[in-house]
Amino acid sequence: MNFFEHQEVARRNTGRLVVLFVLAIIGIVALVYVATTFALAYAGALDVETGIWRGDILLYTALGVIAVVLGSSAYKIASLSEGGKVVAEMLGGQLIDPGTADLDQRRVLNVVEEMAIASGTPVPKVYFLADEAGINAFAAGHSPSDAVIGVTRGCVEQLSRDELQGVIAHEFSHIFNGDMRLNIRLMGVIHGIIVLGLIGYFLMRSSVYSGSGRRRGGNDKGGGVLAILAFGLALIVIGYVGTFFGNLIKAGVSRQREYLADASAVQFTRNPDGIAGALKKIGGWKSGSKMRSPQAAEVSHMLFGAGSRSRLSGLFATHPPLDDRVRRIDKTFDGEFETGPPPRPRSDEELAAAFAPSTAAAAEEPAPPALDMVGAPSPEHVAYAHELVEGLPAPLLNGAREPFGACAVIYALLLDDDKAIRTQQLDLLGKNADEHVLFETRRMKMASEELVRAARLPLVDIALGSLRGLSPRQYAAFRDNVTALVRADSKIDAFEWALQHLVLHHLEPNFTPRKRRVAQYYTLRHQGVPCSELLSTLAHVGHHGDPEAAREAFERGARILTEVDDLRLLAREECGLSTLDRSLEALTALSAPLKRQVLTAAAEVICADREITVLEGELFRAVADSLDCPVPPLLPGQPLA
Amino acid sequence: MWIGLIVIALVVLVPIAMIAGIYNKLVTLRNRFKNAFAQIDVQLKRRYDLIPNLVETAKGYMSHERETLEAVIAARNQAQSAEQKAAADPGNGDAMRSLLGAEGALTGAMGRLFAVMESYPDLKANQNMMAVQEELSSTENKVAFARQAYNDSVTSYNDAREQFPSNMVAGMFNFAPGELFQIELAEEREAPKVSF
Repeated sequence: MNFFEHQEVARRNTGRLVVLFVLAIIGIVALVYVATTFALAYAGALDVETGIWRGDILLYTALGVIAVVLGSSAYKIASLSEGGKVVAEMLGGQLIDPGTADLDQRRVLNVVEEMAIASGTPVPKVYFLADEAGINAFAAGHSPSDAVIGVTRGCVEQLSRDELQGVIAHEFSHIFNGDMRLNIRLMGVIHGIIVLGLIGYFLMRSSVYSGSGRRRGGNDKGGGVLAILAFGLALIVIGYVGTFFGNLIKAGVSRQREYLADASAVQFTRNPDGIAGALKKIGGWKSGSKMRSPQAAEVSHMLFGAGSRSRLSGLFATHPPLDDRVRRIDKTFDGEFETGPPPRPRSDEELAAAFAPSTAAAAEEPAPPALDMVGAPSPEHVAYAHELVEGLPAPLLNGAREPFGACAVIYALLLDDDKAIRTQQLDLLGKNADEHVLFETRRMKMASEELVRAARLPLVDIALGSLRGLSPRQYAAFRDNVTALVRADSKIDAFEWALQHLVLHHLEPNFTPRKRRVAQYYTLRHQGVPCSELLSTLAHVGHHGDPEAAREAFERGARILTEVDDLRLLAREECGLSTLDRSLEALTALSAPLKRQVLTAAAEVICADREITVLEGELFRAVADSLDCPVPPLLPGQPLA
Repeated sequence: MWIGLIVIALVVLVPIAMIAGIYNKLVTLRNRFKNAFAQIDVQLKRRYDLIPNLVETAKGYMSHERETLEAVIAARNQAQSAEQKAAADPGNGDAMRSLLGAEGALTGAMGRLFAVMESYPDLKANQNMMAVQEELSSTENKVAFARQAYNDSVTSYNDAREQFPSNMVAGMFNFAPGELFQIELAEEREAPKVSF
């Protein structure tokens, strides 16, 4: 299975979840209806003789239940709409600052940074759960743009670098497989059902209080109070039963995704010892993967290891049994968890040596096409990312790791090589930004002379992670400056477009309320306009001034999109980078398999001349990114599709 | 009869749901500004690490100015201990105010040191000194930037705290106001500036 198929499975799981949810609501309405009629009959408000079937009561209970359950689910999902940081903050996480002096924390950040660059996504923020001694971790968010990773103190302190890499790879697989969005919806659904039980609890409490106040009033009221009491009790029971089944659903969905994420972690790192070692350590560690935070139960399905050590039946376990998980990775596992001193962690040099043979082997046979690597970086990419980060000029790397420097890095990358235009850009910046930023930008520009072209986007990935720490006001100013810098020379080149697009695409969701996703399209037939715009623009950008070559490139792509009605090459004048923006906006609504088709076609057009420049790779990455498909950096000699 | 039920449900539930929602929002905003403080904190720490370095270099050239140098070190130590207290709980107004006071004093002492240094051209030309000063001014810039972000998030928390109806919830559960990170302007002007 690849990225696109996983996305599709996650979507189908969500669909199944909705069906189960509807069934649960129907069941709950029926139960509440029965409870209501009994309570009313008991209170004497219902004439039992005429039968207990009352359509109006059913209508009212149905409306009430649906309003409560849907309302509180929607509320929960909305409160999580700000992205993963809400979950991390709920669990008491503290943001690890990239400038941290703590070596263990620095190591986590390095591992996360490498994995993000290797897969071509912005570096996620990492939260540290200082109060949790158990070995655990989680990923939360809606998309790679707002994803965060959380690690417990146990995870940071107990695991070796290899094991940590396995755990982080596992979490990245959750990010790429569309599990995070599914997880957040699960939280919302279960919350809706729990609230029903809470209402019952409050009803009981209030009827007890009002009952003691009214007792003097007369005997005929006693029946009513008792009825409310019984009704409240019934709601509690229904709430519990609902939560019971809700947890069953949650656990069932979660267990499957855990196996998948474990397998992906091995695939990303090609080092089964890493993740297996981490799992074994959980088995041997005295706190296991236990979480102390009271909120941990609500997010149990997002965690790396089971958050509580319940001995209850396996049906409720959100995670498969540890020894089973280990055995799926390491066939020779004997079921004995080591409790002794941890094995010596491998140093970075040894790690590099371990990767070296595979990198060499990859150089001999061409790497698989980039499109197959979407959301699934290979160990070669991780090693490549490690090298890239090592090779980045120090001022740029340090700058990109904190918000102030990250702004300057992005500005510096946008500065033109032409001196006249650069002066104009710096003037613009001087007017809008303060002198410190201007100074820092000049410094970064100087340092970027040593920057290899292939390292530009990875640097942007690091900067994007830090830029999420801007305040909304700072972000607004930053966005204006980026736009002004891009427009300064009154012509937008492909790199500028790609950079601007990446920056805005990933940062915007962190600062403006999320736009509701429109309905998905499952056929390409009526996508003639955006597909034509996308392929035509890419064809013209790649072959400026050669209409024949552009036509040929377009034809190559068009051959893939046979399904599309009315696909035609637009004239050069009709295409611009703003057309590209518009068409990508429209194509985000495609279902995952269709996105793959469109991306394959785009790749065909981009590399029609059978020769891929760094710039073309960057352009492809930006196009794929707008469709929420993370593309790992291109390895030397790697085809696009 | 069961119209009564609905009325009870509404009367009890709606306020509870609203209070819970507002409470959660306040907690989120408070966590956010506490996390934003970490960005300032890490730069302040960097600055405290650099200052002894600078003083050590200066000592070799300006042995007559022992008092000025000692004042800088004393102010730095005080600021550092205040910083540790504030970092432990950024929501604590007293700790934050004492950090602000100590930072103001440190900035003042540094300003005096730089003023005195003007009369030691050899020291100003020292390679190590130039490197530390460059590092310091870059750190100052980062502090200023992080401070802006922190103040923005404190302001949005304080606004939420004071607006109706969340001010009632804030009062009920003792949500203390967040302290802006604002160092006295008079001393701000003396902040070490490296001309570029």
